[in-house]
Amino acid sequence: MTATPAAVAPPKNASKVESHRADAELPMAGEPAVPFLEIEALRAREFIPAAKEALTDLIAEQGQSKLIRPVFNWAGRNSLFPLHWGLACCAIEFAAAFGARWDAERFGVVPRSSPRQSDLMIVNGTVTWKVAHKLITLYEQMPEPKWVIAMGNCATGGGPFRTAYSVVPGVDKLVPVDVYIAGCPPRPEAMLDGILLLETLIRERKE
Amino acid sequence: MKPEDLARSLPPVLAPVLLGVEAFPGFAARVRFRREGALDVFRAIHDLGFTHLAMIGGIDWVDHREVIYTVWSDEARTYLLLSTDVPADDPRVESAVPVWPSANWHEREAWELVGITFDHHPDLRHLLTPDGYAFHPLLRSFKIHEPEELEVKTRHV
Ligand code: SF4
Repeated sequence: MTATPAAVAPPKNASKVESHRADAELPMAGEPAVPFLEIEALRAREFIPAAKEALTDLIAEQGQSKLIRPVFNWAGRNSLFPLHWGLACCAIEFAAAFGARWDAERFGVVPRSSPRQSDLMIVNGTVTWKVAHKLITLYEQMPEPKWVIAMGNCATGGGPFRTAYSVVPGVDKLVPVDVYIAGCPPRPEAMLDGILLLETLIRERKE
Repeated sequence: MKPEDLARSLPPVLAPVLLGVEAFPGFAARVRFRREGALDVFRAIHDLGFTHLAMIGGIDWVDHREVIYTVWSDEARTYLLLSTDVPADDPRVESAVPVWPSANWHEREAWELVGITFDHHPDLRHLLTPDGYAFHPLLRSFKIHEPEELEVKTRHV
């Protein structure tokens, strides 16, 4: 099979594919479209020529600073690496979301075992005061830019244990939270929905 | 093993600290003793073959507190309940770690949740609550705090 020339234009069904996604708009509304970002998927051998061509043109056209942010957002939101850890029962649903049935890896979400390699912390379970400072340490060990998803009622606001003597009533008391997912536990679909919502937020990120 | 048999097989020197050996549902017997002779009672019970300490618990009876020990004998295949009363204003008892090393974490837990101090414990630290936690949350006098209040108190002690 010969390598096709760099396919910069979106595939024919791209608009159909994107239309149901909340992030159908381009990152900077009102600015010239960045064709590179309309590509949903490329073969590996097509990627480098396509990227090179698109970037060269665009840098010449728009200057570097306007380009860097959308490209980084595009790369970041399609390769979210959550920290692989579990705090309570929600971790079971977290694990199920990476199994065969829901397969969160479709969205580029791959759990990593080290906070140094993660950019997303999914707080999946009850946070106790005992584990609070370890959670903060892990968060601080993650490289910037980083995001936090509070998964389940416990992480959102303490859940059924809100008034318990040992439970942090919401992980937002400890670290800044970007997305809250309701449910006790949230189903894996809900977790994937939260991740897609986070991707929308990253797409709109400006600085 | 009947309670009478057990009472007969305990060494007579323990008589001053023993308060009673009586039947108790689910256990071979319940041995009540004064806290002053706790370590001697533990040694004697251990010598009778009760080599496994299954549990240490604390009960808050408001006017006093009770420490209970559940021990298991592989030979007799039975549980035994040991219990001692401690006053609420001075809740101390001798640590069982020299006799049953597994008492270590049980005593840490009873100390932080029910506020019973175990003398000569090798390492009496918080087990389930953070360091500096100011409450004994399983006491009846513990009120459910507003989360914010709990947070502030936990952070500043
Ligand atoms: S929200 Fe429900 S399922 Fe999730 S950790 Fe809390 S109690 Fe468990």
